[in-house]
Amino acid sequence: MEKSKKSTKRLAAAKELNKVVGEYYLECAAAKEQGKPVGWMPPMNGAIELFYAMDLQPVFPENWSPVCAAFGLTPKNFEVSEGMGYSRDLCGYLRNIVGYVNGPMTDPAIPLGGLPAPDLLISPGGGCVPVMKIFHALERRFPEAKVFKADLPQVALEEIAPHHIDYAIQEMQRLITFLEEATGRKLDQDRLQEVAALSDQACALWDEIMSYRRSIPAPFSAAEIGIMFVMVTRQGTRQAIDFLIKARDEIKERAESGTGVIENEKLRLFWDNIPLWYNMGLFNYFEKANAVVVAETYSAAWSIRLDPADPLKALALKSLMSYPLVSCVSIEKRKEMVLKACRDYAIDGVVFHRNKSCVPISLGQMDIRKALEDELGIPSVIFDADHMDARNFSTAQFQVRIDAFLEMLAERKGQTFKT
Amino acid sequence: MSQPDYLQPFADCLTQSSQWLSAQAEAGEKHIGYFCTYTPVELIHACGFVPIRVMGEPGVVEQAYSLVPDFICPFMKCALEKALNGGFKYLKGVVQGYTCDVSCGMANIWKENIPGELYHTFPLPYTDAPATRDYLHKEFQAFIHKAEQAGGEFRLERLQSSLDMYAAIRRSLLSLYQFGEDGAPALNARERHIVVQAGYVAPPDLFLGMLEALASQKPFNSRESQAGIPVLISGSLVESVGVFDAMEKAGARIVADDLCSGYRNLLPVDGSGSGPMERLIDRYVNRFPCPSRCRAENRFPLLMDRIEQTGARGVIFLIQKFCTPHLADIPELTRLLKAAGIPVLVVEMDESWRMGGQLQTRLEGFVEMIDGMYGTNHGKI
Repeated sequence: MEKSKKSTKRLAAAKELNKVVGEYYLECAAAKEQGKPVGWMPPMNGAIELFYAMDLQPVFPENWSPVCAAFGLTPKNFEVSEGMGYSRDLCGYLRNIVGYVNGPMTDPAIPLGGLPAPDLLISPGGGCVPVMKIFHALERRFPEAKVFKADLPQVALEEIAPHHIDYAIQEMQRLITFLEEATGRKLDQDRLQEVAALSDQACALWDEIMSYRRSIPAPFSAAEIGIMFVMVTRQGTRQAIDFLIKARDEIKERAESGTGVIENEKLRLFWDNIPLWYNMGLFNYFEKANAVVVAETYSAAWSIRLDPADPLKALALKSLMSYPLVSCVSIEKRKEMVLKACRDYAIDGVVFHRNKSCVPISLGQMDIRKALEDELGIPSVIFDADHMDARNFSTAQFQVRIDAFLEMLAERKGQTFKT
Repeated sequence: MSQPDYLQPFADCLTQSSQWLSAQAEAGEKHIGYFCTYTPVELIHACGFVPIRVMGEPGVVEQAYSLVPDFICPFMKCALEKALNGGFKYLKGVVQGYTCDVSCGMANIWKENIPGELYHTFPLPYTDAPATRDYLHKEFQAFIHKAEQAGGEFRLERLQSSLDMYAAIRRSLLSLYQFGEDGAPALNARERHIVVQAGYVAPPDLFLGMLEALASQKPFNSRESQAGIPVLISGSLVESVGVFDAMEKAGARIVADDLCSGYRNLLPVDGSGSGPMERLIDRYVNRFPCPSRCRAENRFPLLMDRIEQTGARGVIFLIQKFCTPHLADIPELTRLLKAAGIPVLVVEMDESWRMGGQLQTRLEGFVEMIDGMYGTNHGKI
């Protein structure tokens, strides 16, 4: 198995995703040409809904990194950023996007038209340190962009108190004032409610889609988790709803008719940490042992229900909760979430990706692993890799570890393991 | 290496603190550990706990890898190793300001694995506005409530005296960075490091007494001479005096630092405000900037100020391996410093804190290059 490999798609929705992704990036480019303000922002926050409500164009440099990985652009971007002095020990998202904006960004041959230059930068304080540093580098690269220096308490979910929510709401209000002054556009409260309702509907659909993966056999695997794209980039839009309804209908039909990812599903796996974007085909590797990755931690971060009746509070809560939900800010809640998923999805084993490009998710994995063993008797395996940098991944080591793990899981279930 | 007499109490403190902190804990004293200097130690102290900075110390990491990946900083790995070996049994818990991702995750891993009664992470703001200060006030109140549930007892007048005491400590430590009439600093970098580190592991009232005793012995008989190329070192924590010796051996003279185990923690010495809580908040929203909290551009003028004040001719970034905040700032800081004519060297340290031959050669090359730039002889500037 070579290092860069695309995953095998079984869902029609996954195949349609290429069109959805292409349309999004075309829309970004068109926005720039039409004079619609373009704002770059980190993912996992309520600013996306504000942008759609104000008819501004949100762009997510972090989300662009998986696209770069899929198109094989990452090595060139790394070459640029590492040439600027960015250490190979830094997060791959950081090195990729810094390399891209300082290198190939101006190349007209960039797939999907590349990213339009930002008019606005929503520069975070909080979230993880690498994403904060990405935006510091973007501020340097795009000095003409207007910068909102955002703030947000980084607080564990179990510790969120009224003063954290109040502060997050004040920050949302400060952001609205900034956007109104920077763009000359007023936020319409009714429109914001409408967008929040669409966002909530998308989350409800996403939860429903995920619930069908409880079916045995599972209707789709992590190999097709790219459908999450709309949850990252299009929350609060009709496009997201349309795509998710189609995906939901197809997945529901597969679940109800007993159509699985593979013919003879025997082992059900959970995946922790970000996928290897340059090698999504890894998710298919398990299938030779009739094993399917039916749930993962990362997909949960994008599904936070919103109360459209109080959209500002809903967006503030979304901003407060998204990152801690999957990171070491809240190991206790993450443990709860993984254990619950393992019960709900009838998981036989857990695969921990110890991700050199993501310390916040990798920290705490060992505690989750121990809880899985102690409380549920579910075994797990750890392999070392990197969600962006293929140089930090060894295919042979991965195969050896996973083969041994799958063999052990098969034996536990009295099955025959064949490589 | 033997110490001058005036340094011996501080050196003893570093080597013996574990034993006497354990004895104090058995006698009922409540110690709380913290990793990062953005943790409001005055507030912890005002709640009736003694804040002790968790230090890693150089060594071999084995057990800690059962809980954390290898790609985190040596400081955190070594600290966890020491904790798992029972080295912090005198602590009642860990209270931490969220600065870098590793310190946040590590505080939670300690909570899961090291028995204690009080664990807390302060979600610190990144801006300074009236709403920010109001938020921080409420955050501190929430901590007080939590601390009291863990057996602490907060009194506002005690916060006032804690603020006074820590301000006096910082003022006293700052004086060690000042240059005497002969142009030499009161203490050299190695000696100053020993004094400052002792302050992290000694109860503050005891430490203040030690500093007062030290001050009464001025002028010190520092071994510092004016020979050597003056440099500024910048990084997070230095956990071994050996690196100072190595730099000195290479012909450098450390005249200034931007370390969280050094100068960075000392400014501002105090905050201002109408009451002790406002004073506390004021200090923590105005901290001397750390790369985990601010832009490289904000750090650059302060580094240049230090360079100009001390006559440093070059900057050595002394980075703990895998330290994201520092590594991410280096390209821009390097660019700005070089544009200002300041040579830069980046040195990465692992958990052994040993300067091998290759590093020593790089240091020597760096010092020789600066020497050549200024046309000086034998490092005498």
